[in-house]
Amino acid sequence: MPREHLLKIGVSGIRGVVGEFLTPQLASAFAQAFGTYVQARRVVVGRDTRATGPMLQHAVTCGLLAAGCEVVDVGVLPTPTIQIFIASTRAGGGIALTASHNPPEYNALKLFNAQGLFFNQYERNELLDLYHQSEFLQATNNQIRRILPHYDTPPRLHFERVLAHVDAERIRARRFHVALDGVNGAGSVMSVRFLRDILGCELEAISVDPSKPFPRVAEPRPDTLGALSDLVRRTHCDIGFAQDPDGDRLAVADETGRVLDNDDVLALVVDAALERRPGDVVVNLTTSSVIDDVAAAHGRRVLRTPVGEANVVETMQAVDAAIGGEGSNGGVIFPAVHLCRDSYTGMAFLLARMIETGLTASELANRLPRYYRKLGKVGFEHGRLGPMMQALEDAFPGAVLERSDGLKLLLPEGWIHVRASNTEPILRLAAEARSQATLDDLYGQVLRLFEST
Amino acid sequence: MPGEKKLRISHVGLRGVVGTGMTAVHVLDFASAFGTFLGPGHVVVGRDPRASGTMIREGVFAALAATGRDVVSLGIVSTPVIQHSIRRLDAAGGISIGASHNSAEWNALKFFGPGGVYLSTAEAGELLDVYHLRKFSFVDWRGVGTIRHDTGAIDAYLDQLADVFDLAALRRFKVVADCCNGTSSLILRRLQERFGFSCVFINAEIEGVDFAHEPATNARMVGLQLAPLMQPLGADAGFLFDVDSDRVAIATEQGQAVSEEVVLPMLADYLLPRGPGKLVITNVSTTALVEEVAARHGGRVVRIPVGRQAAMDALLTYRAEQIAVAGEGTGAVMMPRFRFVYDGIASMLAILSMMLERNEPLSQIVAGYPRYSILKGEVPLSAQRIPALMVSLRDRNAGGRISMSDGIRVDFPGKWFHVRVSQTEPIVRVICEQRGEPPEDLFSGVMEHVRSFA
Repeated sequence: MPREHLLKIGVSGIRGVVGEFLTPQLASAFAQAFGTYVQARRVVVGRDTRATGPMLQHAVTCGLLAAGCEVVDVGVLPTPTIQIFIASTRAGGGIALTASHNPPEYNALKLFNAQGLFFNQYERNELLDLYHQSEFLQATNNQIRRILPHYDTPPRLHFERVLAHVDAERIRARRFHVALDGVNGAGSVMSVRFLRDILGCELEAISVDPSKPFPRVAEPRPDTLGALSDLVRRTHCDIGFAQDPDGDRLAVADETGRVLDNDDVLALVVDAALERRPGDVVVNLTTSSVIDDVAAAHGRRVLRTPVGEANVVETMQAVDAAIGGEGSNGGVIFPAVHLCRDSYTGMAFLLARMIETGLTASELANRLPRYYRKLGKVGFEHGRLGPMMQALEDAFPGAVLERSDGLKLLLPEGWIHVRASNTEPILRLAAEARSQATLDDLYGQVLRLFEST
Repeated sequence: MPGEKKLRISHVGLRGVVGTGMTAVHVLDFASAFGTFLGPGHVVVGRDPRASGTMIREGVFAALAATGRDVVSLGIVSTPVIQHSIRRLDAAGGISIGASHNSAEWNALKFFGPGGVYLSTAEAGELLDVYHLRKFSFVDWRGVGTIRHDTGAIDAYLDQLADVFDLAALRRFKVVADCCNGTSSLILRRLQERFGFSCVFINAEIEGVDFAHEPATNARMVGLQLAPLMQPLGADAGFLFDVDSDRVAIATEQGQAVSEEVVLPMLADYLLPRGPGKLVITNVSTTALVEEVAARHGGRVVRIPVGRQAAMDALLTYRAEQIAVAGEGTGAVMMPRFRFVYDGIASMLAILSMMLERNEPLSQIVAGYPRYSILKGEVPLSAQRIPALMVSLRDRNAGGRISMSDGIRVDFPGKWFHVRVSQTEPIVRVICEQRGEPPEDLFSGVMEHVRSFA
């Protein structure tokens, strides 16, 4: 019996299947709690291109106005663009309506503080308590503020931030031939502007109509980007980029049409970032060891956090990191632009790197140390998690254990990471080794162990 | 003991003081109920200028879209314009966001069905049941509705008025309008721009928080700013509108603030001889001048309980051509040719047309109606004591003609009294009227008796 979570109200906000589960009532109440939490200050509201976005934006605006907030409506924009704008506009915070890479029936409220960052875990708990207590600020007629539309500034601001870290003139002069799959998402229009008009690329774009539904699985992974691969091969592009619906994640195809592993994309961006700015690297526990090798080459340290952008960002902020991200899901975080996952930084850095090294995209990727990774999931029933983890620990007595997010076992020949999903009754399994045979052996051992527990 | 009421959910819809009584939750639930309840089709939404209207509008949009409704948003317009647009756009229904004659801190949702008509009591009851049950028909992501903006609603509404009234001929009158910072100013400005209507405006700025004065259409408010301006400006007629322009009160060219009770008899006087309809529908609290005027034209008055809902139900029991006019003593009047929509602007144009046809100044028309004097009082009374009070009043006044359709009304030759329970406060209202001088004895007798129950 699958226990699918069609609605999740938790410390990261509220996410669910719109209609029966994620209702306008819930969205409005959560927004009013948020408006109360930011003490009725100005709040920026934007969204991705999901069909349910306008409905939820009206509900959220209703809740914010009811709390006495002034609402700045930025319309359809990538999440990083919204975050950068929040920080620039003396707002108390912001709300993005986006379920990121999730299927179109989902939507969610992503919540940001006055700096355009995720609230830390303590703040998120306070907000959740406030929501449950339901004692919201209730503005009377003379306390209800306006809705201010603000559509033009945010993209310009975002581009300026990114372009401060690359030589745009050189990129333009190189006249890259670039393919783009915008998944008809919030980045569609902006990415065309960025790549074609600002970076002077000869652009082959598909799925860049924000009024249309997502044409593929929303999450940009090697197995969902066949159309991009074909486009790169057919039109002989230097590189191909794919975004998710809210423009924070990036996937990359090299000039042969091969979609790069997302951990390798992060490694290339880490390399580019450390060339520009010294500092620590922060990634989650499931990210590949290739990051350690790249950081070591620059003489830099890697810190690991539990999975989740908010966790990575929290540590990055604490150590003033140079670069960070989450490998498997294609998010690169470069704090000098903003402490958020940003596909635009990723695109600009990769183009700049190709010029700086004189290498093609495939040559850049092939230069990285080779690791073999396998991700998977197994179902589990409540009550069985403890025995499963215990069995795992017993099976690898020599392993160094890391318990901050599920269980990670560091072995001489590689690592294994097992954690429970926040949204589904499954265990997420990841393993990595230096050879395919070792990987198959490690992964197989874990699977057999779980089957027999 | 219930105190001052800040929220009222009834067959008429949702009404309350925003923030302290009416919240976003009420708005979302009520609009979700409406989207669930309505037949298939899109929904028209408009609002009055109250600042809280933006918050409420956002909630209404979200709830309607979530129930799969495409929404046509008219922006800031009057309630009659919304009702006209529902018909024009062939919509399934509509919502008017606005608290009409209530002060600025109030707001309300009013619901309309196909053709822009108010919901009948049965329909409104069904809507209330859906609201209370809170089982709404939310659609999945493929079916979520969209919001479209329509800026042509006022012009289309004026086209309809131009079909009925000779607007070119009415240009000869110089009118002063007190818009009380409400939607009437938007309509009158277009009337001025498109048809050369001659109008001097006061309190015409659209305002969301501080109305220039209490938005009630009564002689006291007319006397405040409008009436004193009439003679200095050399104007022919003055009109005071409430915020959503469904009610009107008048000032004559001589600067008299006319009682709001006179608007309905005046329009009955104008409309009864013109059409086949011989019925005037009004509530039991409205002046007996209506009967006297109706009798001049062989008309008959149908008395109904107070409130819009009773009027809607009464209208359904007659054919439209049987009715000359319907309305209240509050300045809210509806005419059959505008499909029974309370409409202050249409009432104004009808009064001006009357002046034109009779070729008489407004003061002279008003002077044609005998004086009636009304005394009003109120007594705080526990709800528990009300049935005994009503029975006692009936037994004591067996000599009069008694109606108990809404509280108790007793008619005697040349005078009457009405005792009813307020819908908004825990009080009993006493209304006493007499042709000529004020009915002091009758009034004090009834008041004393009511107080003996307190």
